[in-house]
Amino acid sequence: MIADISHYLSILSTAIFMLTFSLVLVLDRSAAHSTLLIKRSYSHAFFLFLISFLLYVYLALTDNFSVSYIAQHSNSLLPNFYKVTSIWSAHEGSMFLWIVFLSLWGFVFNLYNDNNLNVKNLSIGIISIIIVGFQLFLLVTSNPFEIVLPFAPENGADINPVLQDPALAIHPPTLYLGYVGFVIPFAYSLAFLINGNKSLNWEKKVKSWSVMAWVFLTIGISLGSWWAYYELGWGGYWFWDPVENVALMPWLAATAFIHSLSVASKSNVLRIWNLLLSIIVFSLSLFGAFIVRSGIIDSIHSFANDPQRGMYLLAFIAIILFVSLGLFISRFSMFDSSKNIKSLSKESFISLNNIFFGVLIFSTMMGITYPLIYELLYSQKISVGAPFYNAIYAPITILATVMLVVSIDSKWGRTIDIKGSFSMLYVSLAISLVGLVAIGYFIGEMPFIIMLSFFMGLVIIFRYSILVISNFLHKKYTNIPSVLAHTGLGLLILSISANSILSSEKVFNMKPNETRSFQNITVRFSELELLNNSNHDSIRATFSINSEGKSFFLSPEKRKYFARGQITSETAIKIMPFKDIYLTIGEQLDNGQWVVNVQLNYFIRFIWLSAAMMALSGLVIIKNIIRTKA
Amino acid sequence: MKLLLKTSILVIPFIIFSFFYLYLSKDNSYPGADYKNFNLPSFELENLYDESLISNNALKGTYLINIWASWCITCRIEHGFLTQLDDSNIRIVGLNYKDDRDDAIEWLVKYGNPYETVLHDFKGSLALDMGVTGAPETFLVRDQMVVAHYRGEINKMIWGDVFMPLIKGEGLADAK
Repeated sequence: MIADISHYLSILSTAIFMLTFSLVLVLDRSAAHSTLLIKRSYSHAFFLFLISFLLYVYLALTDNFSVSYIAQHSNSLLPNFYKVTSIWSAHEGSMFLWIVFLSLWGFVFNLYNDNNLNVKNLSIGIISIIIVGFQLFLLVTSNPFEIVLPFAPENGADINPVLQDPALAIHPPTLYLGYVGFVIPFAYSLAFLINGNKSLNWEKKVKSWSVMAWVFLTIGISLGSWWAYYELGWGGYWFWDPVENVALMPWLAATAFIHSLSVASKSNVLRIWNLLLSIIVFSLSLFGAFIVRSGIIDSIHSFANDPQRGMYLLAFIAIILFVSLGLFISRFSMFDSSKNIKSLSKESFISLNNIFFGVLIFSTMMGITYPLIYELLYSQKISVGAPFYNAIYAPITILATVMLVVSIDSKWGRTIDIKGSFSMLYVSLAISLVGLVAIGYFIGEMPFIIMLSFFMGLVIIFRYSILVISNFLHKKYTNIPSVLAHTGLGLLILSISANSILSSEKVFNMKPNETRSFQNITVRFSELELLNNSNHDSIRATFSINSEGKSFFLSPEKRKYFARGQITSETAIKIMPFKDIYLTIGEQLDNGQWVVNVQLNYFIRFIWLSAAMMALSGLVIIKNIIRTKA
Repeated sequence: MKLLLKTSILVIPFIIFSFFYLYLSKDNSYPGADYKNFNLPSFELENLYDESLISNNALKGTYLINIWASWCITCRIEHGFLTQLDDSNIRIVGLNYKDDRDDAIEWLVKYGNPYETVLHDFKGSLALDMGVTGAPETFLVRDQMVVAHYRGEINKMIWGDVFMPLIKGEGLADAK
């Protein structure tokens, strides 16, 4: 009954979003009364859809297993928190949540008044039709409201146990909020193109929206990385899994976009870039949805596979992309200008930055599509893995950081004052060189590319530190978000390099009461117990560890979940200032020994710390924009 | 130059989209489907109801083998579609997988029995020989030869795309 109401509300909401789009088409978009009508129509459609979703949450909370999707992904034994999060543990519910967020961004955008009624109304129309496209996708190919008839199962099949985790419960929503947030700059830039008034500064209007979406995307990706680290038991933070890559691509494009946005009306060339980037960012976000939801690529994330869904999404994205690109090209002449970018000005560095990001995105896209192309042509499956991506990302990132440190003192529209700014650069280069020697002393021999990464990471951090100190002494303005985000980048490069060169792992076959040592730690297998829990049985092995004079216990587990019979491995991690000691147990061998995997992961916490610094810098930017407006 | 730029902006995504289109429209875009042919392993298993032994030679013609269990929730979801198949006279042999006999019988009484025969594979030995990874899974068998294997729940769409093309023109309906 409630499931039906929820279903009907969704259908009704689709109709009203369609109505909103039609209103935008037929009404006089510059008139105040039609603006009001469009605004109300959108809000009504949004609230209907929101209520539909909240009813669905209620269905999940009350264990309504007559709904097929809930029966397949929830269980009456689950805590309430996971009953709710089970909604986005698979395809249909994820799409449901995705559209709720999509329409939510539009709703908040709709609340703000805009002087340019025409552009505002056009944006709402574009957002509405995109929502309609996704709602039809939900209702036609991925209906979460389907009922099991005539008998409902007494209990649900349970959420996938590796997904029963707080970080993973919030990882998809955060990521989705990031992905769909770029609908605002996308819709607004298209509205600007349709409107055709060159003097409108759309870049300024979408800045805070884009930064906010970028913050969500940054946090979402980091949460996913953190979860994979402790839950999947492989000990890494990034696997170049296709699904990670499709989140990375819009992130890279969005990063280029928000850099480029600040240039706004300063150069026509960059305005063209901005428009193109706004289209690329949103298309890449949709492309991410397509890759994950079509199940076209096997990956740890492919929880849902369905070619029909893939085809629908592919067609939908193709329409959005080619219509917007067509519009972009037809309005190309709007920005025709012979005005060139002055070399070594801030604009020139941002253009270079766009090119670096573009190369990374294009290579990642190649990495994702190449196996498909290969399989089509030669009917053989191959995979593109870490070596490919490392070979591309490392040199380009280093090149980009060189440009970054050189550009720190650059000015708008003027060539950089080489003598004036380079003295600070020389000082930071010198300090970094000393730092590099110190690192070399501790680590010993290392590959050239790692050495270079260490060096550039140090240069970024020292260069910005000197900048902050110098600005403070001369009472000059410091761009705090920029310092925060770029220092974060420096820290990220340092910690990734340190992690890759220092981390090590060892696999032991051990029986209880045996002791092994590895590097400077000793591992003693002290106890093995069987535990019975509410929804799983587990084998818990306890190890006493001695490292650098400290001793402590770590207890990794192997669990067997009743509802699906799935076996999972629970890692045990000891967090120390500069390293994690990371323990997992595997199979029991025929001679009674257990396979024990010990990993030392260095500086891994700093990787997430640097991502947090970047996200924080975005929040500071938004705070500044809001303060200036108030 | 400008023309080149404009064209490449359209052409590059177009090429990428075409590849995805071609890839998606291939037959084997169901990851759960496997069309490898192999001989049905020889077996002797008990009938779920009367514990009489049934060997592989006793099953003739073209039919489906459906792996299910009373503890398997997805089988419960799949059950409705199997009943529809049974109603349209498709022969289905049930392979009750690692299940308690009484639970299985009770389940069939409660929800209806779409199976022509139900084999009781308590240890999962036949399932192991056939490469089953869990329930539900469905095999299409023709004259002692497995011609298609689907891992996961089958529904109308999967039936139409994976199984139907293989049995077109065959009289599955009359064989009963």
